[in-house]
Amino acid sequence: MIDNELKITLEQRVAAAVTPREAAVEVMKELQHHYGWLTDEALHEAANLLGLSPLQVEELATFYEMIYRRPVGRRVVHVCDSISCWAMGGETLLEQLAGRLGIGVGETTSDGMFTLLPCCCLGNCGQSPTMLVGDNLYGGLTLEKALDILQREREGIETK
Amino acid sequence: MKLVPMRRMGTRCNVIMEQPLFQHNKPGRCVTFAEYRDEGGFAALQKALKELSPKQVEQAVSDSGLRGRGGAGFPTGRKWSFVPRDLPGPRWLICNCDEMEPGTYKDRVLLEANPYSLLEGIVLASYAIGVRHAFIFIRRGYETATANLQRGITECLAAGLLGENILGSGFSCTIDVHSSAGRYICGEETALMNALEGKRANPRAKPPFPAVKGLWGGPTVVNNAESLANVPGIISKGPAWFKALARTPEAAGMKLFCISGHVVNRSCFELPLGMELGEIIEGPCGGMRPGSRFKACLPGGASTPYFSAEHWQVPMDFDPVAKAGSRLGTGGIVIFDQDTCLVAATLNLVRFYARESCGWCTPCREGLPYVVHVLETIEAGKGSREHIAILQDHIKLLNYAFCALAPGAMGPVQGLLNNFMDELEEHIDKQRCPFKARE
Amino acid sequence: MPKLIIDNIPVEVTQGKTVLEAAKSVGITIPHFCWHPALGKAGACRVCAVKMVDGPVKGIQMSCMLEAQDGMVVSTTDAEAMAMRKQVIEWLMINHPHDCPVCDEGGECQLQDYTIAGGHGLRRYTGKKRTHVNQYLGPHIEHEMNRCIQCYRCVRFYQEFAGGTDFGVMGSAGRIYYGRVADGPLESPFAGNLVDICPTGVFTDKTARFRARYWDYDMAPSVCPHCSLGCNTVPAARYRELLKVIARQNDAVNGWFLCDKGRFTNSAVNAPERPRVPLIDGRQVAWEEALAALLLRIREIGTEYGAESLAIVGSSGLSMEAASLLHLLHEKTGAGSLCYFVDAGEAQQSATVTACLNEQASASMADIQAADLIALVECDLLQDGPMMALAVRQAWRRGAKISLVEDAAGTVAQNDNGLNSTDKLPFEVERVASLIDIPFADAAHPVIIFGGGDKMSEVMAEAGKTGAKLACLLGGPNSFGAALLAKEYGAISLAEAVADKKVRAVVSVEADIPPELLPKLVVVATLDWRNTETVKAAHIVLPTTAWVEMDGTYINNEGRAQRFKKVMQPGLPIKGLNPSLHPPREHTPLVPGGQSRPAWEILVDIVHRLGSEEDIQLFAGQWQRLRDLDATGNGLLLTDIERGIK
Ligand SMILES: Cc1cc2nc3c(=O)[nH]c(=O)nc-3n(C[C@H](O)[C@H](O)[C@H](O)COP(=O)(O)O)c2cc1C
Ligand code: SF4
Ligand code: SF4
Ligand code: FES
Repeated sequence: MIDNELKITLEQRVAAAVTPREAAVEVMKELQHHYGWLTDEALHEAANLLGLSPLQVEELATFYEMIYRRPVGRRVVHVCDSISCWAMGGETLLEQLAGRLGIGVGETTSDGMFTLLPCCCLGNCGQSPTMLVGDNLYGGLTLEKALDILQREREGIETK
Repeated sequence: MKLVPMRRMGTRCNVIMEQPLFQHNKPGRCVTFAEYRDEGGFAALQKALKELSPKQVEQAVSDSGLRGRGGAGFPTGRKWSFVPRDLPGPRWLICNCDEMEPGTYKDRVLLEANPYSLLEGIVLASYAIGVRHAFIFIRRGYETATANLQRGITECLAAGLLGENILGSGFSCTIDVHSSAGRYICGEETALMNALEGKRANPRAKPPFPAVKGLWGGPTVVNNAESLANVPGIISKGPAWFKALARTPEAAGMKLFCISGHVVNRSCFELPLGMELGEIIEGPCGGMRPGSRFKACLPGGASTPYFSAEHWQVPMDFDPVAKAGSRLGTGGIVIFDQDTCLVAATLNLVRFYARESCGWCTPCREGLPYVVHVLETIEAGKGSREHIAILQDHIKLLNYAFCALAPGAMGPVQGLLNNFMDELEEHIDKQRCPFKARE
Repeated sequence: MPKLIIDNIPVEVTQGKTVLEAAKSVGITIPHFCWHPALGKAGACRVCAVKMVDGPVKGIQMSCMLEAQDGMVVSTTDAEAMAMRKQVIEWLMINHPHDCPVCDEGGECQLQDYTIAGGHGLRRYTGKKRTHVNQYLGPHIEHEMNRCIQCYRCVRFYQEFAGGTDFGVMGSAGRIYYGRVADGPLESPFAGNLVDICPTGVFTDKTARFRARYWDYDMAPSVCPHCSLGCNTVPAARYRELLKVIARQNDAVNGWFLCDKGRFTNSAVNAPERPRVPLIDGRQVAWEEALAALLLRIREIGTEYGAESLAIVGSSGLSMEAASLLHLLHEKTGAGSLCYFVDAGEAQQSATVTACLNEQASASMADIQAADLIALVECDLLQDGPMMALAVRQAWRRGAKISLVEDAAGTVAQNDNGLNSTDKLPFEVERVASLIDIPFADAAHPVIIFGGGDKMSEVMAEAGKTGAKLACLLGGPNSFGAALLAKEYGAISLAEAVADKKVRAVVSVEADIPPELLPKLVVVATLDWRNTETVKAAHIVLPTTAWVEMDGTYINNEGRAQRFKKVMQPGLPIKGLNPSLHPPREHTPLVPGGQSRPAWEILVDIVHRLGSEEDIQLFAGQWQRLRDLDATGNGLLLTDIERGIK
């Protein structure tokens, strides 16, 4: 359940929108931020906030690449698989990373820390290959560098 | 205006170049509001609100020859002129910052360094069109740019450059940032309007065109971030100045070229439109990386047909690139060297589009996976001549999809067939990918 | 009126029609999946490609998206257009399962038809097919997502047209999925239309699953008997079993759709416990014996209690054919009462409504859809005429204002679930205290929808003053006809008859006699096809045919007389035959359980046996005008005739 504070913030956001629906993506993102992923509970909460049915929220949630309707780790690691990264060795990075994390693509590490997913161009083509960890964009990756970054992200979460 | 000697950027021409968009950039950080203002920022806004009528602002943009930087190159002033000013109800402006086309990252670079030119440009455009509520639609992943914009909006509001009665002119305008959740199709302007309205981001039928019936049914202008960020310069220095920035008389202004692939400097450069492809690669890009020879490039993002070495001297401007069989697109140049298998590259590109199809129309939703499958088959050494015929059919028939995503997806395939047919045939004749070591 | 040329044929169509419709008007069918006359254009499937040879637009275009304009020259046979259409079929067939042999849509599938028509027979695509997990969508609709061709018709109907919110489209690209968030019955009272509207076999009628092919069905144009609106249907039967009901297009009445009540509540026709043989005191007898017994009992009643203690009772569900003969039975028996309604309230309501519709222009469902202001007075649309709620929704979608006049208690009728059913109406209403609060003067096409209660005079006055058209909801499929007859013959309701006189015996013709009255009656004779409480208590039962087993006529809520045709032979469904009797030891030329006769035919028989010599004709006197009704036409609007409108 979301706390009252978040609820009021979201209600205000919806009220400020031109139409309630306009705030749908933002509400979903905020709830996802709160729960880690867009849980069924969050889906219903979003529906209530937006005056939509849960199905109507689901229609939107499932459209977007970065709304997660299944549990994910503390950070989602999106590795770009588009052309510029592909040209610079990104093609193998995802697989290698999966191997070193001991998971398959699409899976979550056993400690619940990372979920590994491929994704569309991250707009960081100049520094390809590149990945998005949570909200942080990293470029110029090699396997070792990517693992280093994940280690630092892990430490960042653990000390928090 | 900061002048950058071209020589420093390593080109063979030795001229001083103005950079209207990058002039305020500070190394390693975002320019501050005070810096931007003190370096002459917001002068255009002051000038327009004090001295110019909305019509004059629109006229200046028309006269400047500014063409849309979002991919289609539509003249910006002309687009504004289509908006009927006599309909009841609000009009809308949307700044398109979805930028999810592979190989394109100019808007991010622009906004990570300086959100203010864009904000100023949006207010100017809003003034010209009579918009009181503008949106910036920005993609997921551009969190720094989003934060910059949000901070910039707060600062502009505090300084009276945004909000009610801007600079005492009586003109009021607000800007909202809508941050998306990741889908390439949201960048297509009508899909964008659905996304913004909180609907599934399927494109809408045209006609009616957005200029007449767009966001919430009202007249709407959608412009790319780079297009709008160029407006302050045009207003403060005049259309003639802007036009003259380009390299050729036909072209107008500077363009952000974002470079990726097998060159030394993979970065985003603000360069005059009309510079030759080879000039860009050998100049600012610092040439091919050691060991690499130029083989091909996507001249303007993932949906443009490949250029080959024979296009080295094509001036990088809308019409010359189109004449040479491709499109200037977003200005995202992706450069490939001699070791790149273009069948595999094309496969990667079409896979992207197949995954990013909105799923609305049959040609795109079903045709692109079909093309993926055919390219996979060829790349796996199992192709036949019939597959080439299937690709040709798709190049032709995907033009009849609902929106421009599917035809765009076939850009590289078309480039492959036009310029690298021998490579494709080699895959089929040898029944293997010639770039892969024999097992 | 734009003039254009399609395949060398000059065509003229009304402004706003598409090229696809223009072609249709001259008999050229351009393939289409996503376009639907009721839903309009989507431009999603891209199978309607044509070549624009000349005129304002050129090149390959989607004919469903393009408004017909002057000077257009269109080719549907152009090579590139055909290549495109063919390619669309190949694309759609890439993932479509080849399960036609076990698919209920087979034979009535648009995808199958166009695939065959386009000549797509060889598979070039060698990849895997995409597959989906199906959902449980309730007892009526089967879900088979793998068959989907993503035409978006279902979701456009369900959400946009019908206002449902629990079914939609999820995912993107090739991952598109049409369904609910989770398994569960579809909530919309119009969900059944998914079966009709899906061009392929994603949604099929679960109640008719695996029973028959299209070419095996017995079908005929029919009319729904489940409320007073008279929606047009095509019941489909096989081997004397009513399998399913399909909506039949009639733009003046139901458009293209039906409500779920009309579609899915027809099992009574097949019910094993249905009376199929004449009965005397529960004993199966031959017709002769049963009719003789009936006559004898009528006579006995006469001698013992006096003929006036007999009541002849019809109902609002009785076809006009039978209802218009009841008075003969009344005359010949000398019965004390002739009743077309059991309930006094229903009789009263039907009488007032028919009276007022004869004065005030009645609103058809098409009128309601085109209205710009609609007032709802004392009615429960979802309960008493769901399709009218759908019509109101279409007006509301076009911007009409909907006002709901609250009754004294500030509430409106409760529906079955005890929920205030206005909460579920598929449109928004503004609640007002009185009709006077509604700005009729500002409206160009106002309509008042009236349930026929106490506010009659108020409604009439307001309609008279403002010129608003009136739509009323009645109790049964022939309430209107029954009310006209009641007036013609000065009939009263059974309730009034019971209160006024000593009713000791009843001949009920497809009526439901109140259970508390039944034990007090000395003789109960009933003509019916349903296994009702009255049938169970009756001394004499004469089995009639259901509406799908005969030709007949209903007059709907707006006074529209509509003919329905016989769909199937009466008789026990083959499924209901007793297999232990195999091989049959009894050899008769009769269809097992096939002795039911139309009520009107039985009535004629009885009247003759009562000594009438005359040749009894159906629809005599003023009813002659019902004789030549065309079941596929728009029927006959009696209220218009009444008001002198042709
Ligand atoms: C599939 C697709 C994706 C697009 N994505 C973008 C985008 O991310 N940013 C953008 O500015 N234009 C994008 N466009 C182009 C827009 O539809 C529109 O033409 C543009 O925003 C207009 O701005 P401009 O006139 O300033 O170029 C896209 C078009 C298509 C068909
Ligand atoms: S071409 Fe069709 S499916 Fe593809 S993105 Fe456009 S509308 Fe969607
Ligand atoms: S389920 Fe049927 S109606 Fe819905 S999109 Fe698929 S094919 Fe079309
Ligand atoms: S019927 Fe025209 S696109 Fe589907």
